[in-house]
Amino acid sequence: MTSEALVAGLTLLAFGLIIAGVAFGSAVGDGIVASKAVEAIARQPEARPNIFTFLFLGVGVLEAFPIIALGLAFYMLLVVANVPNLLQHLH
Amino acid sequence: MHEQIGEHILWHWAPLTALGRLLHLPAWFDLGELHADTLMTTWLVMLIALVFFAWIGSSYRSSYVNKRQTVVEGVINYIADLARSTLGEKGEPFVPFFIALFVFIFLMNQFGIFPFKVLGLPFGGSPTADLNTTVPLALIVFFMTWIVGFQRNGFGQLMHLAKPFPGLLPLNVLEELMRPVTLFARLFFNIFVGELLFIIIASIVVAHVKVGSFDLSLAAAVIPFFVQFFNFFVGTVQAFVFTLLAIVYLSLAMGEEAH
Repeated sequence: MTSEALVAGLTLLAFGLIIAGVAFGSAVGDGIVASKAVEAIARQPEARPNIFTFLFLGVGVLEAFPIIALGLAFYMLLVVANVPNLLQHLH
Repeated sequence: MHEQIGEHILWHWAPLTALGRLLHLPAWFDLGELHADTLMTTWLVMLIALVFFAWIGSSYRSSYVNKRQTVVEGVINYIADLARSTLGEKGEPFVPFFIALFVFIFLMNQFGIFPFKVLGLPFGGSPTADLNTTVPLALIVFFMTWIVGFQRNGFGQLMHLAKPFPGLLPLNVLEELMRPVTLFARLFFNIFVGELLFIIIASIVVAHVKVGSFDLSLAAAVIPFFVQFFNFFVGTVQAFVFTLLAIVYLSLAMGEEAH
């Protein structure tokens, strides 16, 4: 195995791990936020607009971290290791 | 592929380069290297906002309330009520700043929907997908909270870094310094990844992936239509989140001697 193949393979593996972790974490987090919001609206239907504001705020703040991780993962994949270029030069 | 990630059209401005030399900055850090597309798009957004609000403002000459006033006042009252309810009476002078912040970031986020850059024009794309836009915005908020805090509380403002007990001082300083970092990273990466998604989908389309007789690339060409809606939602929410976090940071800095 050449070192280029090793770099490309390990980068792709790391990219997959990052995407998996980020998707898992943000899905659980969004689920908690949404379920608590539904509970709060069921308990106090008149506070619905207020709860909606904080639901979107929470999702917006929370959703930033998976997207930051996604951006850094793509940076690693496309700029640091330049995997598409590596794969073209493999064969 | 023609489109490169994070590539910008550059302008070179000699006075700023000379200033960078005077300050003995490293050679790779050229102060005079300006991102022309980001600058021009920001100016265009400013122009659109000016013309739009001049148009709205000119309709206030008559006492008759028309539809566009109602719509714009709905948005502005929402932000203003949020700022007033969080900051209280003393936050009244800062309400226009937060409205301007929200409208400016919202327009910059949504400007990326126009495909000017694809058509070969030197501007287009969201200016917020460039760190040079989001870092100054976060720094404005950071310095504003500190300056307003010093104006209200004097040097007692520094005391709240050691608030629960002095042992927490390093953690509090770290938290204070991480605030602008998360503020600019949140806005930048959300908009940047939104633009990156199009490039990723374009690379799938260009690659001509076929599974049996099913053309996967042709199917992927439908996705940008839905990504555009997602980007609209994300751009609105992030503009709102940025404004709300700025309000919260200011209220934390001001709220020391309120009661």
